[in-house]
Amino acid sequence: MKTKVKLKNIYKSFNMYAKRSDKLLSLFSLHSKKETKEFLAVRDVSFEVFEGETIGIVGLNGSGKSTLSNILAQVIEPTSGQLEINGETSLIAISAGLNKNLSGTENIDLKCMMHGLTKAQIKAVKSDIIEFADIGDYIYQPVKNYSSGMRSRLGFAIAVHTDPDILIIDEALSVGDSTFTKKCLNKMNEFKKEGKTIFFISHSAGQMKTFCDRVIWMHYGEMKAFGSTQAVVKEYVNFTKWFNNLSQSQKKQHKQKMLKEQFTSSKVYQSKIEKGGNIRELAFNIFLICPLLILGLLLSLGY
Amino acid sequence: MFKEIKQVLQEQIEYRSLIIRMATFETKGMYQGHYLGSLWQFISPALQVAIYWIVFGIGLRSNRTIDADVPFILWLLMGLIPWFFIAPTVIQGSNSVHQKVSLVSKMNFPVSLLPTIKIVGNSFQFFILLFIMFFLLIVYGVDFSVHLIQLPYYIICLYLFLFSFTILSSTISTLVRDYQQLLQSMMRMLLYLSPILWNPESKGLPDFLSNILKLNPFYYIIDGIRSSILGSGWFFDDITYTLYFWFLTFLLLYFGSKSHLKFKKSFVDYL
Repeated sequence: MKTKVKLKNIYKSFNMYAKRSDKLLSLFSLHSKKETKEFLAVRDVSFEVFEGETIGIVGLNGSGKSTLSNILAQVIEPTSGQLEINGETSLIAISAGLNKNLSGTENIDLKCMMHGLTKAQIKAVKSDIIEFADIGDYIYQPVKNYSSGMRSRLGFAIAVHTDPDILIIDEALSVGDSTFTKKCLNKMNEFKKEGKTIFFISHSAGQMKTFCDRVIWMHYGEMKAFGSTQAVVKEYVNFTKWFNNLSQSQKKQHKQKMLKEQFTSSKVYQSKIEKGGNIRELAFNIFLICPLLILGLLLSLGY
Repeated sequence: MFKEIKQVLQEQIEYRSLIIRMATFETKGMYQGHYLGSLWQFISPALQVAIYWIVFGIGLRSNRTIDADVPFILWLLMGLIPWFFIAPTVIQGSNSVHQKVSLVSKMNFPVSLLPTIKIVGNSFQFFILLFIMFFLLIVYGVDFSVHLIQLPYYIICLYLFLFSFTILSSTISTLVRDYQQLLQSMMRMLLYLSPILWNPESKGLPDFLSNILKLNPFYYIIDGIRSSILGSGWFFDDITYTLYFWFLTFLLLYFGSKSHLKFKKSFVDYL
């Protein structure tokens, strides 16, 4: 089988700056003396996914599911690690990438255009999208007037018609009603048959079971389990049951312990910044500016 | 050192048809929900011209001409029409990356097109206004001289400068939001520091001050456009100034493409 997506030791950290100015200083890598706090949203995730597989991703809120899906969709760059993606990805999240001031049809035009479709192709696919979204005359209204269900319908309809090979669905189905969910699942089954790879992020264990081949369980930034749907979903459900049975203070304690780990383990991967190169480049840049200063001086002296 | 410039320019050329399509799309969408629609593209400049004419032409100058050949209103238009293109393009172009990067990053769409789309989008209005201005010039019976052939040169200068400036400025603006505020007030000031509403080279101002005002690159462009229409000089008459302008444009382009490519991947983290 062909490898579609391969992640190796992927980390994504977010800097937690105490002040805005620290962020600015970090641009010029001047902050090295002071230690900045880092939050590891995704740590040391490695897996390999093959053509035609459907992968479910489960986890609690804030466990790094969306960060992972953004990395897969190449919206954000991982801080370190190797990412290999063979194909076009398309991310569907709730109201992702719709322009609120434009109407539904205009959003279709705009998004298809940005996906690189030609005018003729857009024309051909437009009626399919409108039919799939099935939101009636609202399609001619600005997207800001849509309900969240309508938005996800439109977003889903556009994304599946731009012909991606790797589809990443980030909880987008959870706001649709059951008729639409069914339609989407049918469409996804169609994709599966065509050999497309799908990442499916959801809180619904039922949808996972009917649909996914393998499941990833994200837990506070780490990949806690990756295996057959049955086993991982069962493990996850058991965990949530255990967690729900804890008393209020125990829950809090557990959470704090896990979060602390995400903050402290940040030193592991730190990439080194080349210092010598910076100074040489700076000198070169200053050298470039000199003629401009001379010309400017001549000009203001009236030559 | 030319590698970065080449890459950014190549992206523009490769995606030129997409730029034009996106630009027309955006201009169409801009005045949606307005009853008068895209007529506003001409109503608001007309209102501004009227007010500047009343205040600076009739009020302050009692309609005396600056250049003996043309009435003040035409002299004013030659400065204001480029400015109506420059000012919004600089501000919107600098803001474009911050505004759109979250939409665009999900697709394989080069971020460097975003400022260009704004430049192209605003050009439609610019060329129509330019056309109207030439119509008025002919109606007033202005004699064009051979200097008119340098008008395309100044328009190319204008476009290259805007591109170089916005590519750098859009990067800075995404990383440091305060910059956008600074830029907006700078542009408001530059309207008065450029030869648009008055002539800094007139007797009122000491020489060294008017020379310092010349450091502003928009001065070069606006003065140039005017001198090609009125036939008052060639661009190679003042070689220091031409060199200064081109060197500035080149530096902006160089630093702009370099910083753009450096931060391209991490723009989303700065939102």
